[in-house]
Amino acid sequence: MSALIEFDEVCKYYQMGDTTVKAADHITMKIEKGEFVAIVGQSGSGKSTCMNIIGCLDVPTAGTYRLNGKDVGKMSRNELAAIRNEMLGFIFQQYNLLPRLNLMENVEVPLVYAGVPRAERHARAREVLDQVGLGDKLKNKPNQLSGGQQQRVSIARALVRNPAVILADEPTGALDSHTGREVLGMLQQLHDEGHTVVLITHDNSIAVQADRIIRLEDGQVVYDGDSHAPEAIVQPTLLPEEPGKEGKA
Amino acid sequence: MIIETFRQAIQNVWSNKLRTFLTMLGIIIGVMAVIVIVGLGNGMTQSMRDSFSSLGTNTLNIQVWGYGSRTASVDDLYKIVDQNRDLIQAISPEIDFSGTGSLKIGTNTYRWVTINGVDEHYTAMRNFQIAQGRGLQYMDIKDNKQVCIIGDYINRVAFGGNGLGQTLKIGANKFRIVGVLAAKVSDPDMQEGSDDNSVFLPYSTVMRLSNQSTVSNYTAVMADESRANEAKAVVENGLLALMGSENSYYVYSASEWLEEMNKMINMVIVVLTGIASISLLVGGIGIMNIMLVSVTERTREIGIRKALGAKERTILAQFVVEAATTSALGGVLGIALGYIVSMAANKLLPILAGGTDITVSPSFNSIAVAFGISVGIGVLFGYLPARRAARLNPIEALRYD
Repeated sequence: MSALIEFDEVCKYYQMGDTTVKAADHITMKIEKGEFVAIVGQSGSGKSTCMNIIGCLDVPTAGTYRLNGKDVGKMSRNELAAIRNEMLGFIFQQYNLLPRLNLMENVEVPLVYAGVPRAERHARAREVLDQVGLGDKLKNKPNQLSGGQQQRVSIARALVRNPAVILADEPTGALDSHTGREVLGMLQQLHDEGHTVVLITHDNSIAVQADRIIRLEDGQVVYDGDSHAPEAIVQPTLLPEEPGKEGKA
Repeated sequence: MIIETFRQAIQNVWSNKLRTFLTMLGIIIGVMAVIVIVGLGNGMTQSMRDSFSSLGTNTLNIQVWGYGSRTASVDDLYKIVDQNRDLIQAISPEIDFSGTGSLKIGTNTYRWVTINGVDEHYTAMRNFQIAQGRGLQYMDIKDNKQVCIIGDYINRVAFGGNGLGQTLKIGANKFRIVGVLAAKVSDPDMQEGSDDNSVFLPYSTVMRLSNQSTVSNYTAVMADESRANEAKAVVENGLLALMGSENSYYVYSASEWLEEMNKMINMVIVVLTGIASISLLVGGIGIMNIMLVSVTERTREIGIRKALGAKERTILAQFVVEAATTSALGGVLGIALGYIVSMAANKLLPILAGGTDITVSPSFNSIAVAFGISVGIGVLFGYLPARRAARLNPIEALRYD
C-alpha cells in the first residue's frame, strides 16, 4: 500500500538568466492518508514549489511525484486539471473566491467542472456551506462577508468534491489571530473527521497545530517528524534572504 | 456545463453593460448598414422591375433603317417570325403617328395620346379585348383605309362612351372609329398615362399619309421570356442576312435591359455591402481588443478556475462564448436598428426624393446572414484572446494582481 502523497527525489529547477535556481532539490517524503502535516519554511525555502507540485499545478523537473499511486509527472495538462478537480481541495491565503458569483455559485464551481447535475450541485453546495456555518448566506456575494467568513467559504469549496487532500496555503495569513485560530480549528476538525490536510506556512506557531512538520530550507528537507519535538521549531537560520529565488514564499 | 457556460457569459456581459455596449457598437452599425443597404438594393431592383414590366418585358422592339438600297419589308419580318414561332409569338409594325398632328375630337385637342399604325394582329398580340365594333382587319391595311380603333379612355372622355361609328381627326386627316377597346387599367384615374389612352390605325394608312416607303419600327412578343436572348438573336440574324450590315437595324429587348440593370444594381450593392462590412471587421477587432483586456483583468479568476479543475477547453469555451454572445447581441440590436432605419427611410424617401417609388425592403435572408456573420465574428475574434486565457499558467495566474 503506497502512501497518498509520495515524493521521490523531486527536483524543480528554474532558469533565471544564467543561474539555475533549485526551488526543490531532491525532496523525498511521504504523507499517508489521514495525516495532518505542516510544510514549513522561510521565503525561498521551496515550500510554495512543494505546494504547487502537491497541488498538481506544476510538475517536477526531475524525480517522481505519486498522488494516490499515480505518477503525476507523466500527465497531460487536461489530466492534471481533472486530478485537481477530483483529488485536491485548495484553501488560499487570499481566499480566491470569484467576486461576481454568490457563495453558492462559488462553492459549485468545482462541481460544474466535474459535470455534476444542477440539482445535485445545489444540494451539495448547501450541505458544505451549512457545515462551515454559512448556510444562511447562500445568495451573498463574497465582498459582503468578513475575511474569516470568506475563508470558511473557501474551505467549503475545498470540501465540496470530498477530495483526498486538502491543501491549505497560508490559510491564516490574511486573518487576525482570533479568526485565524478559528480557521485552524476547522482544519483540525477536518483532520479529526479523517481528511488528509497539508498546511503550508512560514509561521512556526501555526505549524505546530499539525501533527507532523516537514521543514524546508533551500529546497531541501531539513526536518521531518513530530511537530512537538523541540527540533521542529528550531529558529530559522538568520541568513539574509536570497532575493529572486522565488516570486512568493 | 454548456448551459452553465452560457449563463456565466451572459452574467459577465451583463455586469459590464457600458463596456459591452461600446464594444458592440461596431457590430451594431455594421449589421444595420448591411441590412439597410441590401434592403435598399431590393427596393431599387423591385422598382426597376416594375417600371420595366410596364414597358413589357416580354416584348422586342425592332428598328429597321435599311442599308443603302437594301432594306427589309414587313413581309420579310413576318417570314422571320413564321420560321421561329417557338421563340416569337407575333410581330406587328408600330409606327408612331402622333408627330404628324394632334388628335382633335370635335373642337377639343388631346395631347399625350399614343397614336400608332399597326397591323391586324396587334390588338390580340398586346392582349387588348374588343369591347365594341371590330378590330383592324387585313382589308383595312390592304386598302389603306382611314379607320381606327380607340382605347377606353378616349371613348369615355372624348365621346362619353359613344365613340363607335364617329370620326376623329389627326392633323388634317379624318378617321372613322370602327372599334372600341376594353379598358386594360380598371382604375379610371390611372388610365390617362396607360395603353387605354391610345388610337390605333392601319400601318399602311400611316405610311401613305406620312410618305414613308418602309416600316422602320416593329414590336414583337416573345413566346418565352426566359429565352429573350435567343429571340433577339434570330431576329438580328434574319435582318443581317437580308441587309448584310449590323448597322442597319437595332433589336431591343426590355428584359435584357432589365437584366443589365439588375446586374449593375447588384454590383453597386455588393460594393456598398463590402464597405459596410468594414464596419463589421472593425467591430470584430473591437471585440478582440476588449476580450484581451478582459482576459488580462480576469487572469486571477482564470487561475482560480484552473486550480479548481477547469480544463483548457473549458476556459476557451467560456471566453469564446462570451465574445460570441457580445457580438450576437450586437447583431440583434443591429438588425432591430436596421429595420427601424429601413422603415424610417420608407417614410422619408418619398418626401426627400420627391415621388420616388423606391422602398427599402430588408429581406429575411439578409437578416439571417447578418446575424450569422455577427456570431461568426465573435467566435473568430474571440478565439485568440480565449486561447491566451486557456493557455495561462495556473501558478502565475493565481499570483497575478
